[in-house]
Amino acid sequence: MLDRKIGIVDLSRNSVKIVDMPKDIRAKYLGGRGINTYLLYKLLRKGVDPLSPNNVLILGAGLLTGTLVPNSSRFNVSTKSPETGFLGDSNCGGFFAPEMRYAGFDHIILKGKAKKPRYVYVEDGDIEIRDARDYWGMNTNDAQVSFRKNLGDVEVACCGTAGENLVRFANLRTGVKNSAGRCGTGAVMGSKNVKAVVAYGTMGLKIKHPQKLLDVVKEVEDYILGSKLTPILGSVGTPLLYEVSNELGAIRTKNSQLNQWSDSLNAENIEKEVEKMIGCSSCIVHCRHRNKLGGEGPEYTSVGLLGANVGIDDVKQVIELQNIANDLGLDVSSAGTIIAWAFELFELGIINEKMTGEKLEFGNFEQARSLLHDIAGREGFGDILAESTQAAKKFGKKSEDYLIAVKNLPQSDPHDVRYIKAFALGIATASRGADHLRSRPTLEIFLRLPKEVKERIYGKGVSPDPTSYDGKEKTVYFSDNIFAVVDCLGICKFICHGFNSPHFLDYPRFEALLEAATGMKYGRRKMEAVGKRVIDTERMFNIRQGLTRKDDTLPKRYFDDPMPMGPTKGHHIDRNEFDAMLSRYYKLRGWDEKGMLAPSRVEEIKSVGGLP
Amino acid sequence: MKVLNFYPERCTGCRECAMACSLVKFGECNPRKSAVTVIRDEFKRYEYAVFCLQCDEPVCVDVCHQNAYTVEDGVVKHDDDRCIHCRLCAAMCPYSAITVHGKDIVKCDLCNGDPMCVKYCATNALVYEEETKEMALKRKEMVERILGTP
Repeated sequence: MLDRKIGIVDLSRNSVKIVDMPKDIRAKYLGGRGINTYLLYKLLRKGVDPLSPNNVLILGAGLLTGTLVPNSSRFNVSTKSPETGFLGDSNCGGFFAPEMRYAGFDHIILKGKAKKPRYVYVEDGDIEIRDARDYWGMNTNDAQVSFRKNLGDVEVACCGTAGENLVRFANLRTGVKNSAGRCGTGAVMGSKNVKAVVAYGTMGLKIKHPQKLLDVVKEVEDYILGSKLTPILGSVGTPLLYEVSNELGAIRTKNSQLNQWSDSLNAENIEKEVEKMIGCSSCIVHCRHRNKLGGEGPEYTSVGLLGANVGIDDVKQVIELQNIANDLGLDVSSAGTIIAWAFELFELGIINEKMTGEKLEFGNFEQARSLLHDIAGREGFGDILAESTQAAKKFGKKSEDYLIAVKNLPQSDPHDVRYIKAFALGIATASRGADHLRSRPTLEIFLRLPKEVKERIYGKGVSPDPTSYDGKEKTVYFSDNIFAVVDCLGICKFICHGFNSPHFLDYPRFEALLEAATGMKYGRRKMEAVGKRVIDTERMFNIRQGLTRKDDTLPKRYFDDPMPMGPTKGHHIDRNEFDAMLSRYYKLRGWDEKGMLAPSRVEEIKSVGGLP
Repeated sequence: MKVLNFYPERCTGCRECAMACSLVKFGECNPRKSAVTVIRDEFKRYEYAVFCLQCDEPVCVDVCHQNAYTVEDGVVKHDDDRCIHCRLCAAMCPYSAITVHGKDIVKCDLCNGDPMCVKYCATNALVYEEETKEMALKRKEMVERILGTP
């Protein structure tokens, strides 16, 4: 269990080094996102060009990934983001990470740049750099099918043509469904002339206390399966959230010009296109839709961002767009946000046909589809959109006022955060930019949740009113910390306390699972301290890249334009209230008014020992 | 008599069955070292659990020249002390239900009547249930058909 290695693959030198995991790093960061972040901080210098050989791409499995622990399928991909210039970080489920561990590795670091297309093959303690000419130019489905045909029952994490063409929001894909979607991880892989990391492993993960793990898992499983929410998540998956957000009047529509959209995209209509619900490795929730159009999904993000946000209301069209984006290796969140941004800019006359080559319009499915292909191929206007938020350089300063992004990262959550203030603070402070999987306290949507429940989870003084700013820094702080911990353990957020339900797994159960599996004893405070340390380390990385308080902000529209429709009509974010909430959040974190860490804390984190 | 049945339409491919099996038998989580193996392919869109069906007339018992296999109360059991790890049983099993992992032969023994794979299957794709006479007959016919027994 604790014997898995770190593989360092130097593509420029065509060499591989295999090292043990330093104990201090393991103890302080557990695994996955935590260890990745620490390695990234140590390995990179200020100002590295993300698409140069000097960047690194780190694949890191969670500490409990690939075990009997429910929903323990996940790994983290970390790099300096070519999309944002800040921390690039994406968490992914599926079957790749367990396989990488069975092949003997917890972390694989890709550095340098290969002279010719290569793939990295990992099997039972060995790593080889191999010729990938037969796979280069393929999209992610064909590439994976070909690898499996040629190499057997392997698991693959690969980039598509979008990654090869350095699209700034190209992702890494594994299986039909799973993506390390955000921050341009696929572009970094492509920039290294690497097509994929391919794993095959037969080395099981030795469990410290087998009977104890069987017992704890059984108890945890019964608890999760006993929740009212689990069967819903397992039958409709995340699209459930579309209807919830839409009824509230908080679904991002047409680049957030509107905040409500068609009922035709509700989960009940998506269900009609679903053949079967399946799971990731060790998953007991099974939220993945195997759709009838040849792919998997859609997730709520696709429904919102390739549906409402681009003005499309046909379920089949939405599914087709996300199947295409997945195959090309494009992040659906960035794709749907950037395309909608361009549509509105065209409507406003900020960009015109001279640049776009055609009239752009919301709701045009054919156009959206061909734009996805053009982006991945960097053809025509697609070449500009492939720059993601950096296309603002071409579109002009005025275009930035209509961009739904934070820290240069397009917002992933289709939820319009002008109404729920905790969501707003969450995406403003998330270390990788506008992203909901860092801290989304979904419970805020359930408007009738009693004050006691919220205070019990988040602490005293948290207002039960989602539109209130009072105490919302505590909501984000709690969620940020515990989500960082589950990202270190490799467990899916779907079963994590406070993400979807007030009844899912909290620290004590994570502690019990960790101890049974590894023998590592962590009390609540020690475990929460890991989460805080991860967030502080990410902050240090970002500060080194030039981040300041002014980057912890929101799209201009969220401040200045009140929501136009539905129950949320008139709501927006007040700049002064937001600023005060941000200061309170900094204080909770122990950061100063400028959002900087105390020098002693910086030293403490820098002193974690044993860099490989 | 109870038998282990598999319902593919309920299987999500998560492999918790195999994780539990390898954990009980070997103290490790390893889907390739389990008596139940989930064969799955996302691209070909299927997931299917393969395990010993405890045949009425087991081929493994017949072919094992070391007498490492015995049938006890309808359960086909493998004795590792007698086994010389020749893997002939695995090669001959008409259902490919015997797992070979290095030198280890992994064969389902129904966990003394409380199969762990069933216990940890969240969707009841694997069920340990009474076999009706009809099912027993159907199964026997199928085995004989596959083996070409007159």
